[in-house]
Amino acid sequence: MLTVSKITKSYGALRALDGVSAEFREGEIHAVLGENGAGKSTLMNLLAGFTKPDSGSIKLDGKELPVGRPFECKRLGIAMIHQHFTLVPGFTVEENLALAAISGPGPIDSRELSKPAMAQAEALGWPLDLAAKTGQLPVGAQQRIEILKALSGESRVIIFDEPTAVLSQGEVEDLFRVLRALKQDGKTVILIAHKLREVMAVADRVTVLRRGKVVGEAPIGQVTSDRLVEWMVGEIPPLLQKNADTKYREGLRATGLSAKGDRGERALHGIDLEARRGEILGIGGVDGNGQVELAEVFAGVRSYGGGLEWEGRPFDPDSRSPRIAYIPQDRQHDGLALGMSIEDNMLIEGHRRPSLTAGPFIRRQRLRQWSSGLIERFDIKTGSAKARADSLSGGNQQKLVVARALDEVPDLLVAVNPGRGLDVKATEYVHRKILDARNAGAAVVLVSTDLDEIGALATRTLYLSRGQIVEGEGAAALVGGAG
Amino acid sequence: MIRALAIAAGLVLSLAVTLAVFGLPVGHSMALMAQGAFGDKLAITRTLVKTIPLTITAMGIIVAWRAGMYNIGGEGQFVSGGLAAAVLANWLIPSSIPGWMGLTAMLIVSVVGGAAWGGLAGWLKTKRGVEVVISTILLNFVAIQLLAWVVAGPLKDPAGGVPLTLQLPDRVMLPKFDPQTDLHFGIFIAALAAVLTYAFLYFTRAGFRTRLVGEGERAARANRIDADRVKIGAMLISGGLCGLAGGVEYTGIAGQLGTSFAQGWGFLAIPVALLGGLHPFWVVLSALYFGALFAGSRNLAGFTEQGTTIIYIIQAAAVLGLIAIGALSFKKPILKEAV
Repeated sequence: MLTVSKITKSYGALRALDGVSAEFREGEIHAVLGENGAGKSTLMNLLAGFTKPDSGSIKLDGKELPVGRPFECKRLGIAMIHQHFTLVPGFTVEENLALAAISGPGPIDSRELSKPAMAQAEALGWPLDLAAKTGQLPVGAQQRIEILKALSGESRVIIFDEPTAVLSQGEVEDLFRVLRALKQDGKTVILIAHKLREVMAVADRVTVLRRGKVVGEAPIGQVTSDRLVEWMVGEIPPLLQKNADTKYREGLRATGLSAKGDRGERALHGIDLEARRGEILGIGGVDGNGQVELAEVFAGVRSYGGGLEWEGRPFDPDSRSPRIAYIPQDRQHDGLALGMSIEDNMLIEGHRRPSLTAGPFIRRQRLRQWSSGLIERFDIKTGSAKARADSLSGGNQQKLVVARALDEVPDLLVAVNPGRGLDVKATEYVHRKILDARNAGAAVVLVSTDLDEIGALATRTLYLSRGQIVEGEGAAALVGGAG
Repeated sequence: MIRALAIAAGLVLSLAVTLAVFGLPVGHSMALMAQGAFGDKLAITRTLVKTIPLTITAMGIIVAWRAGMYNIGGEGQFVSGGLAAAVLANWLIPSSIPGWMGLTAMLIVSVVGGAAWGGLAGWLKTKRGVEVVISTILLNFVAIQLLAWVVAGPLKDPAGGVPLTLQLPDRVMLPKFDPQTDLHFGIFIAALAAVLTYAFLYFTRAGFRTRLVGEGERAARANRIDADRVKIGAMLISGGLCGLAGGVEYTGIAGQLGTSFAQGWGFLAIPVALLGGLHPFWVVLSALYFGALFAGSRNLAGFTEQGTTIIYIIQAAAVLGLIAIGALSFKKPILKEAV
């Protein structure tokens, strides 16, 4: 039995895990559920020895685990199947299996080294083409090789990190059969997931994390999906109130909007909505149901089909109206160029402003004044505007993104999980700025997987599920999208 | 500043070590090189003559690399710039167009020729996904072979026996300061190229977008900047500058094209640009250093059996040494991907 007690782990000001305790039993599939950023990955990395907790203990059969030493943990029987495979695509299946078994220098006999894994494959009834190039196999088959690698090391605890994220429906069914077989075999199976339906289908027990804390733990038979959603995303605010108030002015209107995702899949379809000036439209739902794509369409960075209008005219993100401000979800990649100076990062927004430019040129003097003004007003903690953006803490990086976006009141503000990864104070600050923008007459679209955030800010809320707006009340509306 | 001094010290040291490895008396050899590079007026002009094409091509490399486009094709762009000018020259020489006009036209055409060569690689990258490193290397071969064919065929001087184009008359050549030396007005063009590159990168919106795309392409895209357009633009400018270097070398020094026109300036531009940290100011100093190495080693070659090839070793040793000790680490991501 693997026991975790009172684990705390912080990254800077952010508490990734806060007094987490859990028990993972033999012969059981134990799902760890939570939204992105809830602390699941941190917990698993601790179990597998990749990081050390700040306090608390992890015990395997009553014996303290050697924290922070992944090879020791692996030797003791804790294996992790990463979401991103750790296979060499150019190697054959046999070579990849042998690679995991190599210990020390000396000649390598791939056939010999891959034997234990082969025995496992036979036991599971998996036909394996040892000579096949790994990279050319379907994803599900590659995952099997990962699983075999883990099993051949006599593992007792097997952690699956979001294993279904990359699989097709048929492959998911196969994987579930494997999980059940492992359970029969007396192994401890830990399944990290955020898809409710899968957890309900395969797990025996579930632990739900939110903001680094365990918010619920129960045998699967004793919880409903509604309850799990509430645990995951927080108190469900009144939904879908069709607010007909006239104090709001016309802003953005989408009719029959559709868009494709990064892999060409259908991410959004048949979206009809309105985001009016003076209100905050919350877009909720379980992550991965089209929210980010919707935000990107509104921010003018994703192409779309269907109708989209601003104040009755066709939406043109490159025109002066609407002036769009965008707070992307991934501030480190989409928000900032971390290797550039704070000043240059402000220029990402500023280089479009007439006041800071003269024809093709940038007015450096004015830029300097503007950026030091922003640093002061938005209280960004830094020694100099010339310092690189990656020298800032996470909260101050977000302040930089917010300062740049909200210095001038935009017509349309699109914010995606603006409080994610921030401590309480920084979150409050960012929320206040969003409310200020609304009060000043901006139409605000707030996409968040954290319903507390939506509850605190949104004038009204729509939920997305599989790329469509769902009608319905309470958690029931979300469960449909949780698959 | 301290870093610059440390790098300068490292360069002198790597020079000394390389000389020692080749069994040359270090002190005496370095004195010979210094004399050959800075010893008298003639030496200084030799250094500057080599610095001109290095500076212009290196500016081209800076612009592309800053946009994350690892242009290895400076040589091909240099050659295609020279070729374009030579095509025009074939028509200009017998005409009665005033010299300054013909010269200006040749330089402009050389920019266009280089830009076409660079732009092609940019287009292949953004529209077809062909890595710039691969396409530019291959385009180098194409340009160099094209040069060999053109000088032996269509543009060959019919009166001459060797594969060379017509000799440019003096009226369309860049003026020289002093008939005794090779130093020509191309030095002004090089200085202008450096100043404009600096102004472009740090004082224009397009230059900012260029740097932004290189440092954070996703951040650029998330802020509605058309990264593909920026990349193609960077390759056009980069190729244009390398092509200009070809035009300047042609109208400043060579006067006619032969296969020896492809001397490797476009390749050398890469270590020059890297040594200068991809910043125009430091790259000018870096080009001066490499120019001095050329001039100095020629003097050294006169006194030892080692040829001028030793300077290539010195250059490689200098750049590798600096990368290894991390003095250029402020550009680490670029070095990691491209070197």
